[in-house]
Formats: sequence, structure tokens, C-alpha cells
Amino acid sequence: MPTTGHRARTAPGGRRSIWSLPASLEVGPLIADLAKAFQVQPEKDLTRVRKWFDTHDWRLYRRKLLLFQEQCQWHLIHRDSEEQATAFSGGKCEQYRYSWDFPVSRMRVLLEPVLSIRSLLPLATLQTISRCRRILNRDGKTIALVYFDDHETRETGARFSTVTLKGMRGYDSGFKEVSGFFAAYGMGNEVAPYAPFEQGVRSTGRTPLDYSSKFRAKLQPQMTARQAMALIYRQLLETMERNEQGIIHDLDSEFLHDFRVAVRRTRSGLGLVRDVLPRAVLERAKKDFSRLGSITGATRDLDVYLLDREKYLARLPEKLRPHLDSFFTDMAGRRDKEQRRLSAYLRSPEYRKLIGHWHAYLHGLDQGDETPNSVRPVMELAREIICRRYTKVMKRGKAINDASPDEELHRLRIQCKKLRYAMEFFASLFPAAEIKRAVKQLKKLQDNLGSFNDLSVQQDMLRSYLAGLRPGSRKNQDLATAIGGLLTNLHHEQQEVRRHFDAASQHFSSEKNLLLYRNMFT
Amino acid sequence: MAVIAVYNIKGGVGKTATAVNLSYLSAREGRKTLLCDMDPQGSSTFYFRIRPDRKFNTKKLLKGGKHIDQSIRGTDFPWLDLLPADFSYRNIDIALDDMKKSRQRISRVLKPLRREYQNIFIDCPPNITLLSENIFYAADHILVPLIPTTLSHLSLQQLYRFLEEIGESRSKVMVFFSMVEKRKKMHWELMRQLIKKKGVLPALIPYLADIEKMGLYRQPVGAALPQSPAALAYVDLWREISKRMEKS
Ligand SMILES: Nc1ncnc2c1ncn2[C@@H]1O[C@H](COP(=O)(O)OP(=O)(O)O)[C@@H](O)[C@H]1O
Ligand SMILES: [Mg+2]
Repeated sequence: MPTTGHRARTAPGGRRSIWSLPASLEVGPLIADLAKAFQVQPEKDLTRVRKWFDTHDWRLYRRKLLLFQEQCQWHLIHRDSEEQATAFSGGKCEQYRYSWDFPVSRMRVLLEPVLSIRSLLPLATLQTISRCRRILNRDGKTIALVYFDDHETRETGARFSTVTLKGMRGYDSGFKEVSGFFAAYGMGNEVAPYAPFEQGVRSTGRTPLDYSSKFRAKLQPQMTARQAMALIYRQLLETMERNEQGIIHDLDSEFLHDFRVAVRRTRSGLGLVRDVLPRAVLERAKKDFSRLGSITGATRDLDVYLLDREKYLARLPEKLRPHLDSFFTDMAGRRDKEQRRLSAYLRSPEYRKLIGHWHAYLHGLDQGDETPNSVRPVMELAREIICRRYTKVMKRGKAINDASPDEELHRLRIQCKKLRYAMEFFASLFPAAEIKRAVKQLKKLQDNLGSFNDLSVQQDMLRSYLAGLRPGSRKNQDLATAIGGLLTNLHHEQQEVRRHFDAASQHFSSEKNLLLYRNMFT
Repeated sequence: MAVIAVYNIKGGVGKTATAVNLSYLSAREGRKTLLCDMDPQGSSTFYFRIRPDRKFNTKKLLKGGKHIDQSIRGTDFPWLDLLPADFSYRNIDIALDDMKKSRQRISRVLKPLRREYQNIFIDCPPNITLLSENIFYAADHILVPLIPTTLSHLSLQQLYRFLEEIGESRSKVMVFFSMVEKRKKMHWELMRQLIKKKGVLPALIPYLADIEKMGLYRQPVGAALPQSPAALAYVDLWREISKRMEKS
């Protein structure tokens, strides 16, 4: 039975201070001095080993949570207070990857909404030797506790020492005295309770919040267009590089997702922002990124089907659901094959050369000859591009009526996407609140178009899957029935989404919105 | 969440020993626990090596709120705090008598503490007074240590009668045998008679030198001598009480 430990919680109560031990101080003599200044009672030394986890994009840390495993027990704690949110031990000493790998427990309930589809990655293993000294008063009553902790990161051997002073409720003067003692040794600035964790993680080359899938290039209005675009491309390239290992080792599906978004953004930039890069550089980058887009596509498509499994099943009557099993098994098999292919590609000299070339250009001193737009102020170019994109969206949007073929909605979706990317590239040049509103308005329209498109892609996929099914066997007949049911369902849904298009489109082209865009970008 | 008063009309029956050791065990389970020392002699306070707060007195106790917060002390044991006694408690009945709703005063004072602590133990002074009436009103459980002699049997009857008089339920009462001497035949006799009664616990605390010596080492027996028969006897007793508390 999973158990929820009470005992492991850290007791609250009195005040607490934590200092990092200055490099100039040695613990031994410091403890000896402490024993001269106060009546001190040593406790037994304790050693603990904690393996810390978070997702690649720090989802726990962002919510002020930390997760570690100690002696097969998992602890979720509040980052700042170290108070325990919950603990879990499943008997077996397993290293769970996804929140849903945990057996049903409070731990799982708390983790699920935070981790979502991201996996837990081991960040660092810290071994801590903790030496505790009680500070006693003349009655032999403990009035404060001092912990001298030596932390060592197993992966790197990095060491870090802290001194923690814990006060007791009602014994503030004792706390102040001991605090004063340490201040005299130059320990004035406190560190956070999670400082040892951070130090350990840093020693492995990572820093909390060092990755986010959000794009935010900080541009200056006086930058030239080429400086600005190089900065944007550098940031996108970095995002790609930060996700390579996760894709290669198949840690979770978000690595590939983020990688592909960066590829798409780059491609979009290459097409949208013209005459900024030297012709030869541009041509090559376009070719290379188009290749990256197509080579990563198959795995991602299959990932999406697998992630949506529950949604597909929910669209079918319960009786038909089991028939889809073989479909998903098939998809999972294909996905693994594609993933291996992709992983091999990312390790290939061909890929390294492609990336190396782009990297060298973006980080090089010589960024090539001037082009018509390269030295124009980025602000000017940004306005021009966003305006052009906005006009196109409006024109296409207005042209669509109930009789327009699906193809028209598809085209509008692409135009919207280009506008969206353009606004995101240059967002930092405009007032934050307004740009946020503008993006939000656009997003509403995009959501409608996006759903419409997803539903049509899904139907295409299922139709071609159906066409490829060998007829005859009972199993395949059942599967065909289930897929047929799905297709009908998806089609209805798509019509429903299309019915909402008018409202979404009218909302976007409202007078108020028009003004918002016009004021900002013209 | 419960308020547990350790009470007996008589002194020297093991009330303080019980309050100290059971509150320690409650805290050891990770339950945030408060021990209120209401006996002006302050034995519980002494056992935890705590000195009464010089700024604290009956008046402040009855005012409650931050006056109490400031006087609560952390013991040497995680999750266990203590509200020290004050010598002025010896006149607490007079102070209570002057107040409106004089029976509900302690209950009202404990109310905010109930939110902070999962278990609150009250080490009561002996005798039947307005203070004990207050405590009976505030408590969810009245734990009565009983030395199995004829006289103590009578004092239990007195307690029941008193509870009836003030309109408190007898079902709050849990009785257990304290300072039981195995060699005394009379102890066995009396226990056999009483054990079948409702509210009498099967667990008992023998007369043990390790408990008597608590005044020397000034710690709960479970902390000083964790494997001793005395420590184990309290563990059994606490388990029995927890079980009953869960049921009610
Ligand atoms: N089970 C026991 N065995 C031996 N001595 C005990 C036991 N319980 C209490 N004592 C001792 O008896 C005396 C009175 O106990 P105490 O807990 O202070 O009683 P009360 O609080 O009811 O007055 C104390 O000296 C205490 O150490
Ligand atoms: Mg007493």
C-alpha cells in the first residue's frame, strides 16, 4: 500500500536562517568555537541522499515546488518553506517518468496538472552529511539547533556547505545570540533553503528556469534589421540545440514539439523578413530548414495521434473502442521506427554540418554584404511586415463566405500564422499590454482555424489508413467499422467548427480590433 | 483534532506523567500537538525544562489570542509545544467567577488553538472547581488515570455525578489504570470489577521506577528510555486512546 509519511515533514515553528559556509572557514574549528561560546550538545551525524527531479522546462520549480527521491520514497515539498506537500512510497523503488506512472495517490493527483505530458528528468543527486548541535540553556533546554551540512553532488563531485540555524518558539533571544555568533564569522547574507539543490544543479551545467518553450527575443528599436534577425535566429537555434538530446533519447514528446516550433519560426522568419540576410545564406538556410521540417514531421504527427488517444476513444461508443487498439498499437510501432530514424539523423554528420553552418554564420563576426533591408532600423521593418501580414489576413478573411471551399480556410490559417509569428518576433518593440491583447484576439481566430485544420488532417490520415487496410480478416472489419464511426464523428465536428468561423472572423475584424492594430503598427 | 483533558479529583495519581508522555507520542506521529499546563505547580512545564514566562498570568490566559501565542514555547521535540503554567493559576476560580459565561471561558480561549494544533492536551489540577468545569466543557475527551483502590473508585463516582450535574456527557470519559502494582492483590481485584465498565481502557500503566525518575532526567520516558517497559506501556495506552478517539 502506498503510504503518506507524516514523520518526514520538517517541523515548523521558530525562525530559521541558512548561510553558505564561506570558503575561508573550516567546519571543524567553527564547531569547536561554537562549543566554547555556548552550551552545546552534539547529535548523531546523519547522511542522506536525495535525487532531485523536474521537467526540462522546470514546471515544478516554476510553481515553487521541488521533488526528490530519498530511499525509495518520493517527497514533494514547497520550495521556499521546505514544508512537505506530500510523500509517496510505493513499496517498490521505481523511478517514475510521467505523472501517470505513479500509482493512484495524492502525489499523482498533485503532479498530474503540473507535469501534464512532460516527463520527470533526474537533475542531480545530493549526498548530505548533516552534523547537528543543540544549543542549551542553563536548564539543559534546547533553545536553538544548528546544522552543519556538507552537500556533495554525486554526478559532478561539486561540494557546498551550509550552516542552518533553527530557532524554537518562545526562545527568540537564544536565536539572536547564536545568529550574532555566526555574523561575527562573516556569515551575514542568508541563502534560500533550496540553495544546496541549486548549487548541485548548477554544477551539472543547468540553472533553474534556464529553459522555457516561450519565445521572447529582447530587441532594441535602434537595432538594424540584420542585427535583430540574427538575434532572433540565434535564440531559435539555441532552442533547437537545447532539445536535441531529449529527442535523441526520447525523453518525452515535448522536446520534438519545441524543436519543430523553433524550426517553423525560423522558416517563417526567412520567408517573412526579406532582403535582410545575404542571398546565399538565405537560400541555403531555406533549403536546410525545409529539410529539418520534413524530416521531423512524421514522428510528430504520430506523437499527436498517440497523445490524442483518449480523445479519439471518447468519440466512439464504448462497444467500438476496443477495436481501435490495433490501430494505436500500429501507430506506436510506426512512431518508434520514425523516432529511431530521427534520432539517428540528429546524430549524423549531415545534421551536425547543417547546424554547424547556420551556427557559424549567426555567431560569426562577418555577417556578409549589405542587402536592401539589412541596415534599416528594425522598428521600421517590423511595422511594415506586420502591416502587410495584417492586411492579407483581413483581405482573405473577408473573402470567405459559407460557400467558400475548405481550401480557403486553410489558406487563411497560414496567413494568420505568419501574422502571429511576425508579431511574436517583434513583440518586444511594442507596448507589452497592447501586443498581448492583439495576439489574444488573433489567437481566437487561429484556434477556430486550427481546430478546423486538425480535424481535416485527422480525417485524411484515417481515410488513407483505411485504404491501406487489408480486407477480409474479422479484426480488420471491426477496425474498419470503428474508423468509419470516427470519420463520421470527426466530419460532424468539423462542420460544427466551420459554423463558428463567421463569428470568430467578425470578432477579429471588429472596429475596436482594427484600431488596436492600426495604432500600434502604422 | 481533539482536546484531551487529563483529569482526576485526586493528586498524585499520574496525571502529569500521562499528559507529558502522551503529548510526546502524539507529536512523534507528526501531529502538531500542544500541552497546556493548567496546574499552578507547573510540573509538566518543569519536565520539559521550560520556565514559566514571567509576563504570563491568569489574566492573560483568560484574554487568550496573542497573549497566549506569545507564551507558547517549543519543546525539544518536533511538533510539540507547551503553554507553561503560572503560579497565579491558583486563584483562577476567582477570576473566572467574575466573568460573563464563566463556564465557557477556556473553551473560547482554546478555539483558535484548535485550528493550529491537531491535538491539545490539558494537564489539570486536582479538585472540582470552576476551572475543571471549564475544562470539561472545552474537552472532547476526559482521560482519567485511576489507581485501582477503593477510594479512587469512589472519586470516579464523584466525577460522574458532577458531570451529570453540569450537563456534560459521561461518554467523554476514558478511564485507565495508573501506577498499577502487580504484587498488590487489591489492585487486581478492583481492576477485575471495573474493566467491564464502559469507558474503561484495557491498557494500563504499571508502577515503574523509570516513570518515577522522570523528575531527574526531565524528559518524556519515550525520549530518555525509548525501549523501556515504561515507554512501551505509554505507546500501548496511546494506541488504545487513538483508536477510541477515531471511533467517536
Ligand atoms: N506509573 C508510575 N510509576 C511510578 N511512579 C509514577 C507513575 N506515575 C507517576 N509517578 C510518580 O508519582 C508522582 C505523582 O505523579 P504525577 O504524574 O505528578 O501525578 P499528578 O499529576 O496526578 O499529581 C510523581 O513523582 C511521578 O513521578
Ligand atoms: Mg500534576
